[in-house]
Parts: sequence; structure tokens; C-alpha cells
Amino acid sequence: MKNKLARTSKRDAHTLAGAYAMDAISAPDRDRFERHLAGCEECAREVASLREATAMLGTAAAEPLPAGLKERVLAAAAVTRQQPPVDEAVTRPHPRRVTSRVGPWLRSLAWPGRLALAAGAAAVAAVLAVAVVFGVTNGSMQQQLDQAQASSQQIAAVLTAHDAVMTAGPVTGGGTATIVMSHSRRALVFTAQGLHALPASRGYELWLIGPAGTRPVGLLPAGRHGMTGPVIASGLRPGDHLALTAEPADGSAHPDAPMMLDVAL
Amino acid sequence: MTATGSQEPRDPARRGPGAGTGPRPGPNAGPDLAAQIVLVARGDSAAFDAVFEQIGPSVFGLVKRVIRDPAQSEEVTQEVLLEVWRNASKFDADRGSATAWVMMLAHRRAVDRVRSVQAESERERRTAVADIPYDEVIEAVESSLERERVRRCLNSLTEVQRESVTLAYYRGYTYGQVASLLGVPTGTVKTRMRDALIRLRDCLGVAQ
Repeated sequence: MKNKLARTSKRDAHTLAGAYAMDAISAPDRDRFERHLAGCEECAREVASLREATAMLGTAAAEPLPAGLKERVLAAAAVTRQQPPVDEAVTRPHPRRVTSRVGPWLRSLAWPGRLALAAGAAAVAAVLAVAVVFGVTNGSMQQQLDQAQASSQQIAAVLTAHDAVMTAGPVTGGGTATIVMSHSRRALVFTAQGLHALPASRGYELWLIGPAGTRPVGLLPAGRHGMTGPVIASGLRPGDHLALTAEPADGSAHPDAPMMLDVAL
Repeated sequence: MTATGSQEPRDPARRGPGAGTGPRPGPNAGPDLAAQIVLVARGDSAAFDAVFEQIGPSVFGLVKRVIRDPAQSEEVTQEVLLEVWRNASKFDADRGSATAWVMMLAHRRAVDRVRSVQAESERERRTAVADIPYDEVIEAVESSLERERVRRCLNSLTEVQRESVTLAYYRGYTYGQVASLLGVPTGTVKTRMRDALIRLRDCLGVAQ
């Protein structure tokens, strides 16, 4: 990733302002440009002014609303909790930073030691993430999604979040874990592939461990074709680690077995 | 595709109706929408109702222009407005107008939706990129003073600029897809898109 960044000249990044303001940009390009924006006030101002122009293209397309839509939205809003504002006493965001959607703790997402993030793995994860949501790779994935209809919407929300960050790394004992995390949604989606098969009496369990305590996320559903998950972990707190252990098949309240994966979030 | 605006209009007099009139707020928005969104952040449902009245048709119109399918457009419009409700506290008037903020949310979600569908069916995607939307866009934007202004400003662009903007914004294509449609290098499209938006911004007089 770093190399790719370094190879991008400032001017090159700058010309992306128009495409970016129209969302005419692929996810990797968008991330790259947002990193550039974070350190370029002039670019941020330009993008903001171009967004004003694109907004007018948008409003010029206004159409009468279908009957009942407003009522449905108002009813949904009435039972939807609003996101709290930024806590001024806790965070000190850079005043002009446009990419504030990517919080500091998310940015520090790193795999310790041999779990080092591989850029290639991120690309694989991107494909996987799309596959997870839309079931384009195999039928079992689709089946899992069908079974988990309720959580699939949440999962889709994380995967399509504008600040979704993907990372992947090996699991002790075999297999690869992929995490897609969204700071704005304080949630992540976990999938794993090629995990060592456990005896029927044991199951893989996922945990969030941090200053806020140890919380079981849940047992990984046994997948087919070596694929497990997707599992959503929400309510992430700063300082959390994501951990994976092999526990009794009906799960544990606390992780007893050795960590097979421990990722600082 | 019409031939209008195929020359670089360097003459300021040809820049369009918005030129020289100074900055103005977004369409049918005013400072009002921003104030309403601040109230929405405090959980004011009457303000949310007002926001919906003001920006709902724009959100729906844009989303539908990108997605086409009315049922899906309705769904996405609902998601966008709920996002406005949930994330109203994230709106920062220092970074742009309330209209730009909401339309950005709307456009991103619409684009996410069509790109997901594209990922689902690569073959469908290839057949879907065959038509050019400009005439239809012009038709759609012909009916109010605001629309007239947008139309004239779009006409003040060169043809490649205009195509790049309409394919990207109203169809949700990436600059790479636009490049392959127009048969020009990606670097050229990136530059055209930026130049076009700068010109549109100046023509519309919406500079911050």
C-alpha cells in the first residue's frame, strides 16, 4: 500500500478531485485519494466546492415522491436511534480533515507480528467481501446469507460503508481470516477460510477483548467449502482486540483456549 | 448526442447564465436546510419532516436517475433519508452546504447499489453501458429556472466534458468505465472530469 502511495505523484492524486466528487472512482482509488485529502487542505476545499456543483446536478433531477414514501421514512425514523455527535471532550479531530470518517483507532488497524497486512490479501478480501454479500462465488455462501437474513442487512451495511477497511491474515493452526471494519458503524464483519477442522465437540468462537471488557461475539457457523462466517461484531470500542479461540461446541462465556488470532482493532 | 457546446467556450460571456452573478446557495435549499438538519440532530422530528419535504424529491430523482428501477430507487431513497436522520450530527456546515451533504449521501448510496448489482452480473453490466444518457438528462432537467440554469451550464461544457460528467454522475460509472465507453485514456477522463466540474461550479455560481 505504502509503495503504491509513494508512486502516486501529488499532481496525479489531485486530478482525481473531479472523479472523486462524482463518486466515479473505485474503492481502492477512493481510499488512496482520501489519504491524500487528509493532508491537503487545498484539495479538500476544491472537492467541497465541486460537490456543490454536483449537488446541483442532483437537485436538477428532482422528481415527485412516490405516495407513502415520506410516511414510511418518518415512521422508520421514529424507531431509529440517532448517532451521537462527536464527543468534544474526548476527540480532537483535525479541524479541516475531510476523512474524519476514518477514526484514529481504525487507522491503527494492524496485524501484529507475522499477521502483517498484505496488500494483495486486501484485494482478495475485497472480492471475498462482495462475494459474502452478493453470493457470487458459491451457493453455500448464498445459503448462509439466506439463513441469516436479519444479520445480512447489517453485514451489507458494514461492507458498503464508505469507511470500510479490509484486512486479512493467517490464523494460528491454519487458515486465513478476513476482517472488514467500519468505524462509523462501530462494527466489523469476520470471515475465515481454510480453518483447521475441529472435532464435533469443539467450535471456533470469536471475541472482542478490550478496556470495555471481554465480550463473546459468537460461534463461527460451520461453513462449507472451507469458508466460515460471515459473522458480524458490532459495538466496537476503542482499544478492542478481536480474538479467535476453539471452545466447547456450545460456546463459552470467557475464552479458555489459546488465542488462534489476536488482532488489535 | 447533440453537437452543442462542442467548442471550448473561453469567452467569459459564453460561460453561462450563472457567470458573474456571484456565489449563491444551492437550489431550493438556502441556509434553511442546514438549520433544519441541526435541529434534526437534536431529534426534532418536525424538522426532519421539513427536511424531507425540501430535499426528498431531489434525493429520489437523483437516485432514480442512477438506479432506474423505481422500487429499488424508493428503497435507496429511504436509506438515504434515514441516514440523514441518524447522522445529522455529523453534518458540518463548515465543509459545505446541507444540500451538498445530502446529495453526496444520496449519490454514494445510489452508486453503491448499482455497483453491487454490477458485481453480481458482469454480463449485465456490459450490456447496460451501451447507451448515452445526455438527451434524456436534458429532457429531465428542462422545467424550472434552476434546471434551465443547470442545462445551460452543462451546455457550456465541451462534449467530452459533458459526457464524462453525465455518465459518471447520472449513471454511476467510474472514470475507468467512462474512459472505456468514450474510448479515451483514463488520465484524460480524470482531467476532463475535474475541468468540467470546475467550469460547472463557476457557471452555476455555487463556489463556497
